[in-house]
Amino acid sequence: MAKSKTLTGIAASPGFGVARALVLATPETGESRRIAPAQAEAEIARLAQAVERARAELRQALVELEELGEKTARSMVEIELMVLEDPATLAAFEEQVTQEHLAAEGAVQAVAAPFAKRYSQHESKQYQDRAWELAAAFRAVVNHLQRRTMPRFADLTEPVVVVARDLAPHETIRFDEHRDKIAGIATERGGRTSHFAILARTFGIPCVVALPHLTTETVDGEWITVDGFSGTIEIRPSARALDRHRRRQKLLAAQGERLTALRQEPCRTKDGKPVELSANIELPAEVEHVLLSGAAGIGLYRTEFFYLDRPHLPGEEEQFEAYASVAERLSPRPVIIRTMDLGGDKVASYLGATKEANPFLGWRGIRFALQHPAMFRTQLRAIYRAGTRGNLRMMFPMVTTCSELDDALALAADVRAELQREGASFDPDLEIGMMVETPSAVFAADLMSRRVRFFSIGSNDLIQYTLAMDRGNERIAHLYEPLEPAVLRAVDQTVRAGHDADIWVGLCGEMAGDPRVAVLLVGLGLDELSVSPFDVPRVKAALAAVDCGRAQAIARHCLTLACAPDIREYLRRELNPLLPGFLLGEAERGEDDGDASADADSAPSRAEPR
Amino acid sequence: MKEAVLTITNHDGFHMRPAGELVKVTSRFRSRITVERDGLEVDGKSILGVLMLAAGQSSEIRVRAEGVDEEEAIEAVRKLLEDKFGEE
Repeated sequence: MAKSKTLTGIAASPGFGVARALVLATPETGESRRIAPAQAEAEIARLAQAVERARAELRQALVELEELGEKTARSMVEIELMVLEDPATLAAFEEQVTQEHLAAEGAVQAVAAPFAKRYSQHESKQYQDRAWELAAAFRAVVNHLQRRTMPRFADLTEPVVVVARDLAPHETIRFDEHRDKIAGIATERGGRTSHFAILARTFGIPCVVALPHLTTETVDGEWITVDGFSGTIEIRPSARALDRHRRRQKLLAAQGERLTALRQEPCRTKDGKPVELSANIELPAEVEHVLLSGAAGIGLYRTEFFYLDRPHLPGEEEQFEAYASVAERLSPRPVIIRTMDLGGDKVASYLGATKEANPFLGWRGIRFALQHPAMFRTQLRAIYRAGTRGNLRMMFPMVTTCSELDDALALAADVRAELQREGASFDPDLEIGMMVETPSAVFAADLMSRRVRFFSIGSNDLIQYTLAMDRGNERIAHLYEPLEPAVLRAVDQTVRAGHDADIWVGLCGEMAGDPRVAVLLVGLGLDELSVSPFDVPRVKAALAAVDCGRAQAIARHCLTLACAPDIREYLRRELNPLLPGFLLGEAERGEDDGDASADADSAPSRAEPR
Repeated sequence: MKEAVLTITNHDGFHMRPAGELVKVTSRFRSRITVERDGLEVDGKSILGVLMLAAGQSSEIRVRAEGVDEEEAIEAVRKLLEDKFGEE
């Protein structure tokens, strides 16, 4: 057997999966078998049948996406269907069979190839990005030719890890009914906001995306493990690694049962001090998750999806409907919309953004928004109007100076005046806050606090800017450390500046999802924490186990320590005796535990998840 | 036969959705309609053909229509492009 191999990508849906790989066919891997002229008729009949089945599959997907209210995905499938219903498509396939003597799979591939070539070499990045999307229609036909379609899940006797280059909406639509057959998903392309990644989160399927060379490394039927926390997969794992992975799975399941009971409980410290524990979302479809997690609201509603992975600018009505529906479903719980945070690594080609030498120090966040006033106003109008439908708030990202903040606030005031003049229905008192995610915002927090109603610390960016380290750079990934004294001091200073001005201060970012760090943050005085829906019950359980005064004392002591490992060790020593055992076991996730016990209630904490 | 040279002004050119919109419009006419860009001429009623043009923003296309409703067909296409495929 070939050696085991670990690939690292992006964690897109939490959980551990272990099963044999089901590698989905792609047009590129289709065969190029030649046929005898006499076989042409039979081959064309086979093609016609596959095309008809693919059409039927897409039509069914359209109906289901319509019911789910998934507009963007639906319009993608609509075009795929148009391509397959175009008589020219079938004619082109047939020509390849009769003229070039290609078997059906090869014929589809031959028709698809010039598109793939033309698009991937196109001068516009827009087209380059979409090459795969167009290929989805052709892929549907090949899948039917090879009888490798998603409905095959029903025939599986044991679960599989789905391995693919990418997944189109019509391929993932049946994920929910076959949830028990899908142990995990691993893809070569895609991001956290890809349609299938969101579905994976919704259905609780562990998922890792952006794994280089995945489909060439993986052979159908081989064992594979998916770690949706660390974003790694292991192909052909050793028996020991398989065993370790299964133990972690069990541990997580046991935790899940204990945590479900906490959903309806309010979030408060052991002595009853309430903490606003909210959840982060990227898409309206994730609201269901938030409601199930027992979160007190949405502390970070990212709106970039409106601008990325799509061909054109979103209109006001479309945004209004999305914001209003989230506000309504959460009402009376608060929803904080982060206004467009484009630029940096999140650039849509049609916005005319060019490659920058230092994108994270470049044209992004509020800087980008203020230079696109028409686009920014459209979003602000939609938010103000949706404000009447629930408890909506908004915050500006990446603020570095007071004058920027003033400009954004002036624009918002102007939008309010405009809506007033039009006699539109909107919420004039909608609270405006800002994200504190740059060192300059921390240093100037006392000045900025007088201009807004709340602060939300964006810890992911604040860590990388404070420590001057690019979190996308693998060579220095070990320097990304939320517990660095400089980071904790930045949080402390921001909280004090906010409280001095009588505004509340929250934190949204991955660090708050770690139960022990969450206790530390509440000890530092944060009024609100916003974490992924998955982490909500864990953090709730941790906070409920510690008195507020104790958390404060722990936080004060942490601020006197000089390095992160000491702080980590101190937190462990102080908090392990207090936190419920089933939470401590979680610290084992992602670690090579050797002979460590997997017993959920007695496992000593050995290491933190990163 | 009628023909017109038109410029694509929407952000994403003839990509997926706009290509679909174009074919929906051309299919309403009885005339034979072709679209040409950089020497490549395709059937204006075939989405496969239009997608093959891969015409990006600000590219020029030549639309030809021949048949009983050729004038209306050209006008309808012109209007669609002017409206940026109903994008904004």
